[in-house]
Amino acid sequence: MKADKYFILILTCLFLLACNRADETPFTKSDLEKANWPEIEQKARNTTVNFAMWAGDENRNRFFRTEVAEELKKRYGVTLNVVALGDTAEAINKLLTEKQAGKTTAGSIDMVWINGENFRTAKKGDLLWGSFSERLPSFALYDDDAGKTDFGTPVEGLEAPWQRSQFVFAYDRERLKDPPRSTEQLKEWIRANPGKFAYPAPPDFTGSAFLRHVLFHFGGGSNKFEKFDEQLYLSASSKTFAFLNEIKPYLWRRGENYPNSPSELNRLFANREIDLTFAYGAAFASEAIKRGEFPASVRTFVLEDGTIKNYSFLTIPFNASNPAGAMVITNYFMSHEFQLRQSVVLGSIYPHDLSKLSDAQRASVTNLPRAEATLAADELEAHAVPEADSAYLERLEKDWRSQVLLQ
Amino acid sequence: MNIASRKHSQYAVVVVFGIVALTPFLLLGISSIAANWRFPSVLPSEFTLRAWSYLGSSASGVLPSVGNSVGIAFIVTILAVLISLPAARVLALNRFRGKRVIMFLLILPILSPSFAVASGSHALSLRYGLADSLAGVIASHLVPTIPYCVLLLIGSFTRLDTDFEDQARSLGASPLAVFRHVTFPAIAPGMAIAAAFAFLISWSQYLTTLFVGGGKIQTLPLTLVSFQRSSDDAVTAALTLTFALPAVIIFMVVAGFFKNES
Repeated sequence: MKADKYFILILTCLFLLACNRADETPFTKSDLEKANWPEIEQKARNTTVNFAMWAGDENRNRFFRTEVAEELKKRYGVTLNVVALGDTAEAINKLLTEKQAGKTTAGSIDMVWINGENFRTAKKGDLLWGSFSERLPSFALYDDDAGKTDFGTPVEGLEAPWQRSQFVFAYDRERLKDPPRSTEQLKEWIRANPGKFAYPAPPDFTGSAFLRHVLFHFGGGSNKFEKFDEQLYLSASSKTFAFLNEIKPYLWRRGENYPNSPSELNRLFANREIDLTFAYGAAFASEAIKRGEFPASVRTFVLEDGTIKNYSFLTIPFNASNPAGAMVITNYFMSHEFQLRQSVVLGSIYPHDLSKLSDAQRASVTNLPRAEATLAADELEAHAVPEADSAYLERLEKDWRSQVLLQ
Repeated sequence: MNIASRKHSQYAVVVVFGIVALTPFLLLGISSIAANWRFPSVLPSEFTLRAWSYLGSSASGVLPSVGNSVGIAFIVTILAVLISLPAARVLALNRFRGKRVIMFLLILPILSPSFAVASGSHALSLRYGLADSLAGVIASHLVPTIPYCVLLLIGSFTRLDTDFEDQARSLGASPLAVFRHVTFPAIAPGMAIAAAFAFLISWSQYLTTLFVGGGKIQTLPLTLVSFQRSSDDAVTAALTLTFALPAVIIFMVVAGFFKNES
């Protein structure tokens, strides 16, 4: 009897869902050209935005689903629905299928957190709504270079810069007094401490980023790698692979196995199997300490040559149902106010160009509380180098297999 | 060997199997409440209910996703068994041309890579306007469940002696009465197993739900997988236990069913 009731309830729900198809007046590129910002905000009022984001972090999920969602409702009358992804590539695959099936309107995702290879795939597959980011008022707060390229792919307004991230190394002060701070020192340290270093096997994102630091070191600095150059790649990569083969016998498990992911690398570090770890995220160690995963004596550092920084972006898919709402939320997410709050709650790096802020805003950024295991923003910025053209990534990841893994 | 010592060795086997089966769950249970659990300590130094309270909070979205998963799996089970019954009967009791081809087509969805099945289901659901809806997700879950149900029910129908049905009919029983009093009791164990399979297959669908549901229909596997790739062991362990629970319950229900049968 109970089952019957449940069945009828579900059927009723299905019926209501089918009836509840909202009338669709899509917001097009020409609408955006005609509208001014208050009109876009007006258009977004009382709508829902489906925001697809990687959802593997408890604090971030909690922050977006509660505080941020409530604030957006209050401020703009927009309902934020977080679509949880395990990997952003899932959203891109879904959009590819929708493109092939000709579903050009009323898509289920309005906004995606994205960068790098996923952006390149999306741009190449024509999966994005169009140029919008330079119309957002908050765009002016970012460094002029922030919104120009994403891993070497020209952005062209298709996505808006959001968060800034930087690669950092971590060590435990109780176990290691003086960590190596350059590529050469790292080599010496690895040889002197056999089995105490590892890197995730590329194409893992973090392992691949570690390789690029070595590549930049042997190629004469990251600024040479903005556009793909075959000659430069060949000379720098051969030295990179020679370096990696030299350290291979001194790696964790003699380089016969590699960790598969940053979480595996961090677990090895937490279990004291290795003495150095790293991640693409300046606050990763502080977060791990907060969760009780790392001991409180863990600290982070950057290489003297610098470590890679990048931006992650927010974009709108080609078939978004609610582009106006997505723009309003994106603009709010990029604002000083939001970024300040996010830095407090999630420990993320404040991403704006400080010279573009008012004095009061600048002061609030300098006074941000900072976890002990996170480096100060100015130290990070002083050691930040830009990302390479993603063509280098692909070659390096592919050749690593034949030149290092299978050697 | 006397009976007593045989009994002892049987118990020993049961205990060993029990330990082997339960250890992972025990470890997961500890992980889910551990705050500082690093090598070389054998047990965590601190305990916390952080992961479980996160699962229970509205921010995690776990409770609604459990509701969705249960509801979808329940409907899929009923539909899959209902659709599979006539198909299995015909395939088990009749001989006809092309039967092998039909059997092959029927199990094709479980032989194909799940990514292909998920993409195909998504493309079809887009064409028929079922994408991003509950109905679409239910329909897509039927694709991998029906083959299992049919295969399991074929076994039951093969052992069914149709002469009993004919006898009941010749004594004037209505088709419904024949099914209720003759066919159903004969195939009930098979139906129970088929239903359990259907429930668990639907319960564990990830890619199809993600593609066809478009993230709008949030089920437990979707929540679980997004945490598996993070390094938050406690939340992942708590979610894994939540995910495994129905399998244990269903196993006990089905096992109990067979105990009553025998």
